[in-house]
Amino acid sequence: MGELRDASIRALRTADVLLRCGGGRQVFLRLPAPASSGDTTEQLGLAVPTFQDVALEPVVFRKARATLAEGKAARSELLVSATAVNTLVGSTGYSAANVMFATAFGVLIDDVLMEIESASESELGGTTYVYRLLLRAPLALMV
Amino acid sequence: MQNARDTFYVALRDRLAAVNPARTIVLRGVTRPGVLVEENELASATVPVNAFCLHWTGLSVDAQGALPLATMTCEISYATDGDSGNGGMDRGRLLSGMDAELVAAVSAAPQTVTKMNYVGAAGGSGLAPVAMGTNVFWGDAAFGAATVNGERLERVATVEVFCYQEAGEL
Repeated sequence: MGELRDASIRALRTADVLLRCGGGRQVFLRLPAPASSGDTTEQLGLAVPTFQDVALEPVVFRKARATLAEGKAARSELLVSATAVNTLVGSTGYSAANVMFATAFGVLIDDVLMEIESASESELGGTTYVYRLLLRAPLALMV
Repeated sequence: MQNARDTFYVALRDRLAAVNPARTIVLRGVTRPGVLVEENELASATVPVNAFCLHWTGLSVDAQGALPLATMTCEISYATDGDSGNGGMDRGRLLSGMDAELVAAVSAAPQTVTKMNYVGAAGGSGLAPVAMGTNVFWGDAAFGAATVNGERLERVATVEVFCYQEAGEL
């Protein structure tokens, strides 16, 4: 059991080192503030939530596929350190990382807000060492 | 027409909550009845399950009468994966339950409600919504075929919603 835990910690640290060495950078996760309880106007789109941008680091940002389909927005992939995500989940009060990613409005990368299409994780011995987010560029940037 | 859409949503939300108070969703940290208007929420790829999701699609306006009559199409999509504790084997029953809840909410008399203007109540102003001079009324729900998407059962029901466009109303 101890060996498995050690292996998990090693995987976590190795992933962090690889992300930093492989072009590790900082992006921002845009999270909406909690909704107002019982506020009908917010449910009607009359009141918009405030947002906060929280830093995610280290991450690696890359194109998800080399070929693009006509009429489809480009997709990109973001590999995120589980260390950073775990810290963020704890500090923002979300119950789990997938809840946080599902709630997030998007990822802000170089002033472009990209929508999170899916989130998956890689784990060893029950411990996640890296998260993989599939991102979609805004339609306004389609050429 | 936006007032009619808002009024219909609030009426449907309250009726569905009365039919099954246990059907709730957690959205941005707040528990609320399991019904939402897709265009009023943050753009997201996440599809809510075990909840009713309203989409406003078709619109036609008959301007021949004293007041223009707007006919709007409201698509109500809902889906369920079943109960994970039951291995999803009850997903047909759960979808059937959602069908029944929607029938009870939409078809219950009266199928009309006073049109309300919620704009003044926005932003925590504390003001109550304003009752307008005409009603919003609707027909029964028309149910589409259930579709299978992996382990998920989905259905789209359509409701025609009618309202008169009052003078000065946008």
